[in-house]
Amino acid sequence: MTHTLHRLGEVGSLERDYVLLFMPSKDINHVDSGPKLRKMLEISLRCGAIKIGDCRHGNEYYQGGLDKLLDNVEDRAVVHAVFNDRDNVVEALKELKEADLGISVVVSGLFERVGECCREAGLAPHTVNNTLGRWGRTDLLPPRDVLEINTMCGHGMVSVKLIEDTAARVKSGELSPAEGAERLFKPCMCGIFNPSRAAELLRAMAGNLPDSKA
Amino acid sequence: MLIDPEKCIACGQCEVYCPVGAITLGDDHAEIDFDECTECYNCLRLADCPVEAIYQQKLEWPRVVRSLLSDVLTIAPESCISGRGTEEMKTNEVTGRFRDGWAGVGIEVGRPTLGARFYDVEKIAMAMAKLDVEFETSNPTTSLMSDVKTGKFKEDVLNEKVLSAIIEFSVPLGKLEKVLEGLKEVSQRIETVFSLCIASRVAPDGEVPTQRVLKKMDIWFAPNGKTNVGLGRPLFREETR
Repeated sequence: MTHTLHRLGEVGSLERDYVLLFMPSKDINHVDSGPKLRKMLEISLRCGAIKIGDCRHGNEYYQGGLDKLLDNVEDRAVVHAVFNDRDNVVEALKELKEADLGISVVVSGLFERVGECCREAGLAPHTVNNTLGRWGRTDLLPPRDVLEINTMCGHGMVSVKLIEDTAARVKSGELSPAEGAERLFKPCMCGIFNPSRAAELLRAMAGNLPDSKA
Repeated sequence: MLIDPEKCIACGQCEVYCPVGAITLGDDHAEIDFDECTECYNCLRLADCPVEAIYQQKLEWPRVVRSLLSDVLTIAPESCISGRGTEEMKTNEVTGRFRDGWAGVGIEVGRPTLGARFYDVEKIAMAMAKLDVEFETSNPTTSLMSDVKTGKFKEDVLNEKVLSAIIEFSVPLGKLEKVLEGLKEVSQRIETVFSLCIASRVAPDGEVPTQRVLKKMDIWFAPNGKTNVGLGRPLFREETR
């Protein structure tokens, strides 16, 4: 409870970070759910999703492209779409409501914005999950800017060393922030990592970059 | 996971991918700290080793537990889904798992970045078991307990290290304060971290009942989180609603 929760960040940054999760329920509506899940991903892409992913078979890089990812969606898969624009989330929710596929939809993001999105799409929140943050030996955790990137992969596959190494390469000019963000996306097998937001965070970590690399 | 020292050319490509920093680079080859490795497959999948020196040794009990709770693409037999969790609130409108007046609790031990050994998971589970909580049976972490009444885990898994393990249960709202007090206490006795979440149904007037408890106890919660928007069908019907 769970991989799209516990994303750490400033409100201003989280304004551009939404994950839609689509999931059938075991023994209730999972039979023949694969084609419905695929349709939900296609709706998301049409409405401006910047990434889609599948927990069962891996992200687009691992599967060898978006077409393969879509072709491989199975019954009982858990699939996702990442957005960086709340208006696009509203459009996706409207289309998903209209499609009436009977598959559960969970939106991760700022509650205030998600509430607005639901109202504009004619939906009412059913259940919410709050994160109460990190407890215990928090003194052992990496700095906050690293954690803000790391927590965008809820399974913890985007390592601290990879983030630090990528930030150093961005700072040196070897990678642009966008190239660095795509490098960080690859280990996130579920495809819920937001490279658009990661590029903003890498840019901030790098400090002043020459215009050609910013 | 292991690295064949005879093949490895010490290029260092794999080192940055390990989520728990278990790979170190020596003069002529890289090495995986076998005790720290969580068998997450990240290095094997992503490092693009130019000499194919990284290999998966045969995974046997109890070490196979590491892969089950660390490799994202492993399907857990209990939940029939990939990953470490369950359907929890994600399908609540069709399952009715968290009903009016109840709170779902998820304690993800080891997240973020540190990982966890089961002796720490057990400390937390035993503290919660004293409050007579019932652990979620479809959760793979629950399956590793030797006694779900006490929260005790099987002896041979206690030193196994995983990226994270989720302790999951639901409690009546009236018991939530005691659960949170218990978690505050046990958080002082562990060697890692946990990420904590609380789920509940939204009331007809839009209020989230668990947030009332959190505010009363002055416990911080984030402005972002997860919202199930109620599109699953068939809808679960609560008799009391």
